[in-house]
Amino acid sequence: MTNHIEFTCTPIVAPASVLLAREVGACVEFHGVVREMENKQSIAGLFYEAYEPMAKAMLAQIFAELAAFHPCEEIYFVHRLDWVPVGETSLYLRVLAKHRGEAFGLATRIIERLKADVPIWKRP
Amino acid sequence: MQIKVLAFAQAREQLGFGEQSVECAAEETPRAILRRIAPGFDVSPVRVAVNRRFADWDQPVGQAFELAVISPVSGG
Repeated sequence: MTNHIEFTCTPIVAPASVLLAREVGACVEFHGVVREMENKQSIAGLFYEAYEPMAKAMLAQIFAELAAFHPCEEIYFVHRLDWVPVGETSLYLRVLAKHRGEAFGLATRIIERLKADVPIWKRP
Repeated sequence: MQIKVLAFAQAREQLGFGEQSVECAAEETPRAILRRIAPGFDVSPVRVAVNRRFADWDQPVGQAFELAVISPVSGG
C-alpha cells in the first residue's frame, strides 16, 4: 500500500489517474467542498490551520491501522490550509482498492477518524 | 530542561500565545505546566499531545521536547 499525505495553501489539483496495479478494481474519490452556510450564517470561506507534523504522523498511523481491515493499493490525501473560499475543495481523498466495498469503507473510515482525531481546525 | 508549548485554534486565543518555551522538570505533568503558565485555563475541553502524540494530562513529560494544547478538531 502506498500513501500520499500533503497539506497545501494553494488550490488542490486532483492527481492524474494512474493504474498502480491490474488488480485495482475500484477508485473512490472524495472532494470536501466549502459550503456557503455555516451555522446558519452565510460565509465567504473558511480558514484552516493544522498542527502539521502531528497531523501527518497521525494520518500515516490511521491509514496503516485502517488498511489492515480495508485492504487497498493507495491512499492519496490532500488538505488545504489557510483561506479556502466557498466552492473550493478543502479536502481531497482518493482510495484505490481491489473492490468497491474496501474502497468506500476505507474512505468513509478515514474521514470519520480525520474529523475525530487529526489536529486540523477551521473557522469562518 | 525546556519544553516548547504550542497552542492552536481556540486554545491559542484563550491562552494568548501560539508557542513559547517553558522551563520544566521531567517529573512535571502537562496539567501542572499549563496551570503554572496559564493559571485560569480550563483543560477539561481540550486534549494534550506530547511529542506529537495524544497524551494524558497527568503523565509526566519526561524528556519531551514539545507539548501541544489541542482544541476540539474540525478538519475536512
